Amino acid sequence: MTYLARRTLLAACLGGASALAIAVAPTFANPAAQARVGAPAPAFSLTDSAGQTVSLGDFKGKTVVLEWTNHECPYVRKHYNGNNMQSLQKKWTGQGVVWLTVISSEPGSQGHVTAAEANKLTTDRGAAPTAVLFDPKGSAGRAYGAQTTPHMYIIKGDGTLAYMGGIDDKATTRVDDLKTAKNFVDAALSEVAQGKPVSVPTARAYGCTIKYSS
Amino acid sequence: MARGLWLVAVLFLFAGLLRATNASAAAGELVKAELIAEPAAINPGQPFWVGLKLQVKERWHVYWRNPGDSGEAVAITWQLPPGFTAGPIVWPTPQRIPVAHLANFGYEGETILLAQVTPPDTLDAPGPVDLKADATWLVCEKECIPGEASLSLPLHVAKRGTAPASDPTKQGQFDVARSKLPQPSPWTARLGLGREQLTLEIDAKGLEPSAVRSALFFPNEPTLIRHAAPQQLSVTSSRLALRLDRSALLTAPPVDAGGVLVIEELLGRTTVKQAFELSNVAVGAAPPVAGAAPLSMFLQAILLAVLGGIVLNLMPCVFPVLSIKVLALIEQAGGSKSDLRRHGGAYMGGVLFAFLALASVLLGMRAAGAEVGWGFQLQSPLTIALLAYLLLAMGLSLSGAFHVGLSLQGVGLGLSRRPGLAGSFFAGILAAVVATPCTAPFMASAVGYALTQPAALALAVILALGFGLALPFLALTLMPRLVDRLPRPGAWMVTLRQLLAFPLYATVAWLIWVLGQQVGPEGLFAALVGLVLVGLAAWSFNVMQTTGGWGRRAATGMLAASFAGIGVAVAGLDGDRGPNSHGTAIHAATARHEPFTQAWLDELLAARRPVFVNMTAAWCITCLVNERTALSSDAVRAAFTARNITYLKGDWTNRNPEITRILEKHGRSGVPLYLLYIDSDEPVVLPQILTPSMVLGEIDRIVDPLQRKASLSTSAKE
Repeated sequence: MTYLARRTLLAACLGGASALAIAVAPTFANPAAQARVGAPAPAFSLTDSAGQTVSLGDFKGKTVVLEWTNHECPYVRKHYNGNNMQSLQKKWTGQGVVWLTVISSEPGSQGHVTAAEANKLTTDRGAAPTAVLFDPKGSAGRAYGAQTTPHMYIIKGDGTLAYMGGIDDKATTRVDDLKTAKNFVDAALSEVAQGKPVSVPTARAYGCTIKYSS
Repeated sequence: MARGLWLVAVLFLFAGLLRATNASAAAGELVKAELIAEPAAINPGQPFWVGLKLQVKERWHVYWRNPGDSGEAVAITWQLPPGFTAGPIVWPTPQRIPVAHLANFGYEGETILLAQVTPPDTLDAPGPVDLKADATWLVCEKECIPGEASLSLPLHVAKRGTAPASDPTKQGQFDVARSKLPQPSPWTARLGLGREQLTLEIDAKGLEPSAVRSALFFPNEPTLIRHAAPQQLSVTSSRLALRLDRSALLTAPPVDAGGVLVIEELLGRTTVKQAFELSNVAVGAAPPVAGAAPLSMFLQAILLAVLGGIVLNLMPCVFPVLSIKVLALIEQAGGSKSDLRRHGGAYMGGVLFAFLALASVLLGMRAAGAEVGWGFQLQSPLTIALLAYLLLAMGLSLSGAFHVGLSLQGVGLGLSRRPGLAGSFFAGILAAVVATPCTAPFMASAVGYALTQPAALALAVILALGFGLALPFLALTLMPRLVDRLPRPGAWMVTLRQLLAFPLYATVAWLIWVLGQQVGPEGLFAALVGLVLVGLAAWSFNVMQTTGGWGRRAATGMLAASFAGIGVAVAGLDGDRGPNSHGTAIHAATARHEPFTQAWLDELLAARRPVFVNMTAAWCITCLVNERTALSSDAVRAAFTARNITYLKGDWTNRNPEITRILEKHGRSGVPLYLLYIDSDEPVVLPQILTPSMVLGEIDRIVDPLQRKASLSTSAKE
């Protein structure tokens, strides 16, 4: 009798518990992994234009900037034609910051280049990234939630994300707007360098859609 | 590769040339831009509409005010003559344009962006004035090309005192442009902020959930939601909710939580899209239905459900059942402890089984596409009547009108009195069944949450509710010492049992009141006759039990007859659905109308009076939009009055055979249906989507073809 009652109860409890487990499981799986300011930045390992493998883990202790680019995108052209991106790269790599330019364009689509073309672009434009990385499958781009070119990320020395978003607050293709724009990346890098919290940690990214592989 | 580069270079060169030459209305291959004005000539001080017409090359698109994950909205910079002012761009409803795993909001093909321009009162120019504007845009397919055009539009100034006249060649384009604008939302909306998700809730009372095929929200602010994420829709008869993924960029409550909501509604066999401008969306913390912090929300809902279940035990419909079980315990107080526990377990099993069955039916119906909510079973007068009969039978049994089985402590329904475990199991089922009418008001938040969740989660919450319901009795059986403390059995139990009948009678009274909201007077009468027959059945049953021979046979016959009578009564009651069963209708500001009846229509037609018939329903979104935008517009109202047209409105919110016949006669299976009878018994059938000019056009075409132009210009003022 007692045995039977216990068994009934046990079965009821097990049933309840499994219903609960079934119910809860999808809620954990559901929210897509989204890069978040303050959380550890997603790890990646990509090939650069010199043929070397570059991983985020290589730069522990250093501030890392990720710049998604597509040299044919009018918004990217604005920042390179106006010498805005190059000056930022020079200013901050000069202070020990690692600057990684990432190309997530699918082969055959706009912005995809060969290693040689990438190096030529760097020389021709007077750019100064630490490395130009290729992400043809878009895995790093998707992990970071990069949507546009340009789309900027700053990772602190401890591996957490300090900034994600647009490079500045003027969502246009006019070079003239660079003069009046507030550059969020420059401001955030200064604050990170001084050990201060980043006052504007996110901003809307603007530009062309990254030409991801579908 | 190189060719692609060349192409881009050439296009850039072209864009540069455009800028240099200030070409108007010829912005290259990808986008043709042109400024158009609605009136042929403008009047001083009178606002008029202009449009920026963009003809975008196939497969390319330009962007809405919130471009989505990338892109840039079209912008217009006006260079207006002195004294002129221009309003903001009035944006047509955008399309969602998916790009890989991202989404953009914009326009393909031809689009007209409207803006209202107001000339100064002092305008007295002899010659035309020039309206100039610089338009800039980004046009994308996969690649994106910025474009711009400097446009100009010469406008004639009407002589003072002349009536405004529309440009007939442009009128059609402006009509089309207006038809693509979202309508002001007739409902209030609120946005609940969760950590991962946002819930947009629209109070749309009287919705027909099964007619709403889809809903898509386009937020004004680009940093509100993840644009490409699926938007999960749930519709009940009073509420439409969309669960949206929160944008990582949304760090503070949004200043503007508004946007455009596009709803697809099924009308007969066709699906119609309606767009609504949601402004003044209230922003609050996540409501219970929002997926804020899913696990803690879920646990909270489970806890609420268990608590609610426990509270259910005190409800008038359940309390007697529980009490009877407790009384049975008292009588068995001498029995073994393990026996007690087995009864507790079986009771719990019965409750959970019943809730599981109910939840399965509910979730099954939802999966099949019927958007039903908790308490769906109470939307059927049939269920309500049967519950009332069951509760009355239980009450009569407690009052002592009849006894089931040999024992005097019978609760009424045989199975629940069975001494074995089956008896306890069925008592559990009975408790769950009689608890259902009480569930809805008490469990609103937990069950409301459950129904927006995936099936497994919803099931867990509903089972938690059942667990809570069975818990007090289970606890009692698990703690025999408590049972020992209960008073000794005695004559007081009979008195108590008789007293317990009254909460049941009260519940019956409540159920009949609910029924009264759903059926007409005849249906209500049928239900009340059913109650009498339940009494007759109870009495017959008692006679059957206590007498023998001839009397017993007669009583058996009587019992069978009363059951048959109950069946007839129930069937009759379902046939008479009352006029007010669907709650509040959405009352748009409409033209003065009279309720439709076939007799009144016949009389009007016999008198050769012109009649406009509008067949509508509270749950039909398209009907509502038509009433707001077309039928209640000043121009249409004025035309009805001027032409002495009687406006009849038929409300099909509930079944109405007269209206159904009219619908069928015109080959429709549902509303809306618009009929215009002028000097004929055969009406003109208007389309299911109306614009003021369409209605006016039809009236004029029939009544007075010569006046058509004048009324169109009146409608243009809308």
